[in-house]
Amino acid sequence: MAQDEREELSALSLEEKIEHSKKIIREAIEKFGTEKLAIAWTGGKDSTTMVWLFRETCRELGVKMPGCMFIDEGYVFEEIWDIFNRLKKEWDLDVTIAKNTDVSDKAKNVGDMIKVSSLNERNREEIAKLEYGEEEFPFEPESFVGNHLMKTVAMNVFMEDNEIKALSTAIRWDEQEARIEEDFFSPRENPPHTRIQPILHFKERDIWDFIFKYKIPFCSLYKEGYRSLGAKGSTVKMSDIPAWEQDLENTYEREGRGQSKEEVMGKLRDLGYM
Amino acid sequence: MLRFFKKKQKEEDKKEKVIVLGIDGVPCTLLNRFIEEGIMPNLAGLAKKGTLTDMTASIPEVSSTSWSTFMTGVNPGRHGIYGFTELQKGSYKWKFPNSSDIRSETLWDIAGRNNRKNIVLNVPSTYPAKPLSGILTAGFVALDLKKATYPESAYEYLKSIGYRMDVDTRKAQESTTALADDIEKAFEIRKKAILNFLDNNEWELFIGVITESDRLHHYLWVALEDEKHPQHDFFFDFYRKLDSFIGEMYDRAGDDIPFIILSDHGFTTIKKEVYLNAWLQERGYLKFRKEKPESMEDMHEESRVFVLDPARFYIHKKGKYPNGCVEERDYESLRQKIKEEILSLVVDGEKVIKTVMFKEELYSGDLYDDAPDIVALSFEGYDLKGSINKTQIAGKGFLTGGHTRGNAVFYINREINRKDINIMDVGPTIISLLGIDWDHFDGKSLL
Repeated sequence: MAQDEREELSALSLEEKIEHSKKIIREAIEKFGTEKLAIAWTGGKDSTTMVWLFRETCRELGVKMPGCMFIDEGYVFEEIWDIFNRLKKEWDLDVTIAKNTDVSDKAKNVGDMIKVSSLNERNREEIAKLEYGEEEFPFEPESFVGNHLMKTVAMNVFMEDNEIKALSTAIRWDEQEARIEEDFFSPRENPPHTRIQPILHFKERDIWDFIFKYKIPFCSLYKEGYRSLGAKGSTVKMSDIPAWEQDLENTYEREGRGQSKEEVMGKLRDLGYM
Repeated sequence: MLRFFKKKQKEEDKKEKVIVLGIDGVPCTLLNRFIEEGIMPNLAGLAKKGTLTDMTASIPEVSSTSWSTFMTGVNPGRHGIYGFTELQKGSYKWKFPNSSDIRSETLWDIAGRNNRKNIVLNVPSTYPAKPLSGILTAGFVALDLKKATYPESAYEYLKSIGYRMDVDTRKAQESTTALADDIEKAFEIRKKAILNFLDNNEWELFIGVITESDRLHHYLWVALEDEKHPQHDFFFDFYRKLDSFIGEMYDRAGDDIPFIILSDHGFTTIKKEVYLNAWLQERGYLKFRKEKPESMEDMHEESRVFVLDPARFYIHKKGKYPNGCVEERDYESLRQKIKEEILSLVVDGEKVIKTVMFKEELYSGDLYDDAPDIVALSFEGYDLKGSINKTQIAGKGFLTGGHTRGNAVFYINREINRKDINIMDVGPTIISLLGIDWDHFDGKSLL
């Protein structure tokens, strides 16, 4: 997408942004239907906003709400489970938990070593694809192999099992630089499907304006100062004041999330250090 | 008389320029091979016009140390960057040195106070950006583009073109194709930014670094020789494109402007990774309080030696570390013992360690105390690591290529006669080409 188009969309008012998201969602439902389309829900503020937008749009269209996929990578905050259970019930969501239990069953605690040979064929193949030659790997969110098996593989298996053709995710352009090239519809391989990204043009501030305007329930960790939620153990809060009261425009949203020290470690690990 | 004066004035106004293109992790032998095979015709032409030669990197041969040595012209004992990781003073917590930890003047500091304008793009270890006379956007490990860039107008431009600070190496988890695509994207935007600043801004010293070559090598080195590897063609195309880019830059500069190309270390196929902390544990020099240590904070107080990446040995000295236990009087004999024992380390029937050096043989300066007590250098193909959670001494990781200290590359479109070039010599060469008198370097100008 051209930069000026991106800027124009990012500068819209909140109501205009909501309308644009609904338009994207309508197009997605027209194209893929509601059976083969899934919504990736993490319990975080962005994907909860997206789920709400889907509910509204489906209500307006008079169609069934697509199913949600929740990835349990083994290190989910208790507070995330709280909001998960609450909204699942209040919003009557059809949620599937995607979890690579073949891996998580082999570890009691974060950091436990898992033997490659103890895993099923699919997981062993995935490890081979990474050209990882060790006999074991640590069960932890920042580990190259662990992250891949517990997140990417769990998600791929869910999509394959349910023949998902389109997966809607709640990434935003202003979150990090690598996302600037993303578009509302984006084809993916492995497995082949379309990513629908209906809130790309929302800024962090828009999300909070939206949440308070429409009284959307949200995870209590944001009130404690967390700005962006990742895996427990690799996410920290950078401030004790509620997320929405922080200087959103001049500080970094993902700072507490594998960013700064944690992110440096991640980047170094990816190049074989640490 | 007046005419003479005017002419003199004009000559004084005309400042010398230098262009530097950094190519992270590119070995000299690979460039020579691609020149021979006709993959890099532009570089072949340049090689005829000047000097293309191998160079040794810093010790240790990691990007942060090597580029810091390049950008200061002094040894790590003076600039203070011994690696990507350190322990915080008075604790065992990780510290990741950044631009504020570089304690010597950089080339652009020196050029700046001599009224030269600088453009410095993507040099590793310059994050967060510090104000300078000119423009800087930092390289690895940069986290936030705004903090990485000075001044604001340069940030605005970079943001507008969708500039990328690095390759997203996590793409490797998706597929080698996804990684290759991302390398390509980051490479394209890097070249665009470099050419834009080269064309549209004032500068006397221009430094642009390509880091995609290092990422390509770490993850896809195996694709170079394996014709059936899905990214084999990509590897070659990358170098064809790099060659075109060198040509494009050179055309803009011409023969009159000194044009330097350098890398910060070489690359080779990893036979095995060798985990020195596991070796120390096996020998009883190192102990952790937990079975699965998470950081150096879990180190047992009876530990006598530990290693930080890649092969920096630190003696756990009393007084230097909170729980240090090695007495001063035992320091020397312990170092000797470690040296002898590590030299005889054998993996798969081959010797691993080529040389062991003590800190006094390698470093000098104000930050000498922070230096590792011992540094080991390996035979090619053995990638030395400071990992703390390994139970075996050797193994395979997910990377196929590893650094070498020798076989980095240096090129200049001038004749030079020096042999044994070290990366520390490049900075003094640049400053002298800019016509600035400054002799406080450790390196020696190559001219």
